[in-house]
Amino acid sequence: MSEVTPTKTLDVCGKICPYPDMNTMTTLKKMEKGEILEVLLDYPLSVERIPRNLKKQGHKLIEVEKLDGPNHKMLIEAHGLK
Amino acid sequence: MEAVITGLFVGILFGFILQRGRFCMNSAFRDAILLQDNVLLKTVFAALLVELVGFALMDATGAIAINPKPFWWGANLLGSFVFGIGMVLAGGCASGITYRTGEGMVGAMTAVLGLATAGYFTAAGFLKPFKANLQAATTIPGADGKALTLHGILGMDYTTLAMIIAAIAVAVWYFVARSNKDESEADPGWGWLNTGILVGLVGILAFPLSAAAGRNYPLGITAGWINIVNVIFKGDAFNWLGLMIIGIVVGGLVAALISKEFKFRMPKPLTLVQTFAGGLLMGFGAVTSGGCNIGHLLSGVPQLSLGSILAGISIVLGAWAASYVMFVLPQKKDQ
Repeated sequence: MSEVTPTKTLDVCGKICPYPDMNTMTTLKKMEKGEILEVLLDYPLSVERIPRNLKKQGHKLIEVEKLDGPNHKMLIEAHGLK
Repeated sequence: MEAVITGLFVGILFGFILQRGRFCMNSAFRDAILLQDNVLLKTVFAALLVELVGFALMDATGAIAINPKPFWWGANLLGSFVFGIGMVLAGGCASGITYRTGEGMVGAMTAVLGLATAGYFTAAGFLKPFKANLQAATTIPGADGKALTLHGILGMDYTTLAMIIAAIAVAVWYFVARSNKDESEADPGWGWLNTGILVGLVGILAFPLSAAAGRNYPLGITAGWINIVNVIFKGDAFNWLGLMIIGIVVGGLVAALISKEFKFRMPKPLTLVQTFAGGLLMGFGAVTSGGCNIGHLLSGVPQLSLGSILAGISIVLGAWAASYVMFVLPQKKDQ
């Protein structure tokens, strides 16, 4: 869907609440400004919760792509807090 | 006999709403300090407010007679604090792990197994004397010999006090909402207010139906799982609450299938051990305190039971303590 190439991929499928959110946020924190994180997740609550909390940390959601069933792919641009 | 079957229908409705609305009290309390995310917390408040008004009107018209849980402060404090720690380990509150079992989350299934096991042993097994002694030793009854309630202490009528609290809450809410408007962003889900209202309405519906089956109380979770244990191992009949639990799992499953969100999600083996241990703490805590997040918080607080209010505060404190140790401290070390 998108032309953006992710710098890093994080797979949080199967993880229980709140690890999908926590792992995404801690990974983003360690990335440089402008780097792209691709997150693979299958937990419905986090699919809705991560986008609304990204902005508070200054990260930018590029897109959320719905795959099979509850599986989603998220592309996020890191703010670069490092 | 037929009266218990309504439990199944209420459960299916409840499970469907929980899954589509992503309702979870563990997330609600934990996210407030961990992610500074208050969306689910607002949902919980909305549900409580709807129930407060609903119960008050039904009690005034004679459709129900409220039945607040007793105040046994030692059991409420200890049991609910342990429950709060347990739900963070389990990754969901009592209702959360029940509907996610229907969603196919294996971590939730092992948590439920822990909840039912420890719940059974605390209600009827080797931990029963400890629970019974703690409850008896710390009970403070109301002036009329019944459960200690907020309206009892103030010497007021339940419906009158409930309506006053509801009116104050709505007024405060209105002014708070007006002062921070930026939160009204588009929500991809059902929206926190809709979910809260629906959860509250299920609680209102549950009360008279459960009472008609001989159980004068609205929603609950832990005692329902204990009933299922008794059905399986002792040949007991299903009661209203046991059927409601089956309904929640079915409702969660149906909602997940319709929205194509059903999937067997298998975490690492160590996570399964963690959620099982969390479930054990939840089962012990809920039975000791006389209720879980649904029995005490969602169902007991709107009946203005002081025991349920204390239990609710204790659940939140337990959840915060566990969240701090499990998630906040490791992050601080990392920096």
